[in-house]
Amino acid sequence: MIRKIISIALLILGLAMAVYGGFFRKFLVYDNLEKFDRLKNVGITIKIPGYENASESFTPESQWFSEPDVVRAMTFEGIKRYKDEKLISNYPDLRMLKGRIPCPT
Amino acid sequence: MEKIRLKVQVISLALLNLGLFQWQTICFPVLNCHSCPTALFSCPIGILGQFVGLGLVPLSVVAVVAITGLTVGRFMCGWICPFGLAQDLLYKVPYVKFDIPRWTRFIKYLIFAGLVVAVPIFLSPGFPLYFCRLCPVATVQSAVPWALINGTADTLTLSVRLVILFLIVVAAMGHRRFFCKVICPLGAILSVTNRFALLFPERNTNCTGCGVCNKICPMETSKEKGSFGVYDKAPEECISCLDCKDKCPADSIKLWG
Repeated sequence: MIRKIISIALLILGLAMAVYGGFFRKFLVYDNLEKFDRLKNVGITIKIPGYENASESFTPESQWFSEPDVVRAMTFEGIKRYKDEKLISNYPDLRMLKGRIPCPT
Repeated sequence: MEKIRLKVQVISLALLNLGLFQWQTICFPVLNCHSCPTALFSCPIGILGQFVGLGLVPLSVVAVVAITGLTVGRFMCGWICPFGLAQDLLYKVPYVKFDIPRWTRFIKYLIFAGLVVAVPIFLSPGFPLYFCRLCPVATVQSAVPWALINGTADTLTLSVRLVILFLIVVAAMGHRRFFCKVICPLGAILSVTNRFALLFPERNTNCTGCGVCNKICPMETSKEKGSFGVYDKAPEECISCLDCKDKCPADSIKLWG
């Protein structure tokens, strides 16, 4: 009986975590300025599917990612911590975190 | 029951690796590498390691694993996990069979704490000792396929991975569910909640204490007569394969705990 009470209590906690994590939790993720600048300085055009402009037209941006979005980005190691503890994209542009297939580990 | 389980495992393997679409915002609580070109869901261990490496806790992932553990326990290991199927098949290969000491079961908890949590936190998920860099499932499902697709790979890394995979394959041929018992970090998490799982084998008063259940238990939960190993001795190890229910001469085992 005690086992079942503990089980149900933990289950309710788990459901609450799933709902909060899955639907409400957000992370602010920034463009990778270092990679952006490095590529811009050497005149490389960053090609993103559906976005074919030259690198000069990029402006660094931030975007709120839901936890499932971050989970997906983690499948290809798409997000990291910057020196100032901000979350930044591992790729020059945040849009590169969308629609990308996972990399080999 | 064993045949039904085999069919379910094969169907699960196919469904988890359909390759028709990817739904990797969601973790599925089995060891099925999300870097596999055809994987449907994310691997909770891989995602957990990446998150803790950033100093974050993936609430939805922890919740999925916890809810699974609290409802069906390690049923996922016994019936759904593709690497569980691989080990069940490998054990059928004629090869020298051997026992392992009971203390080796604790290694999986150390692997979880060390290689899945501590290495990403204190070093980096890119560090070669991070679990995903060594995981045999990732070698089969990701490292080898991507090496073939790309036609190139880091030879040293791939060689180390293949050696680890080879050793685990040999161990799985000699000892039933070796990886699940000794190494699997997801099994370690589910083991903690297994004791509280709603779906769990339990014996009734018909039990004669013959000990058949313990003899045929793939997880070797007990060797004593008179005890029901998966319940009395090592509930954390039970994978709910129901071989004990199938073979019980007194029909004394039911699934709902």
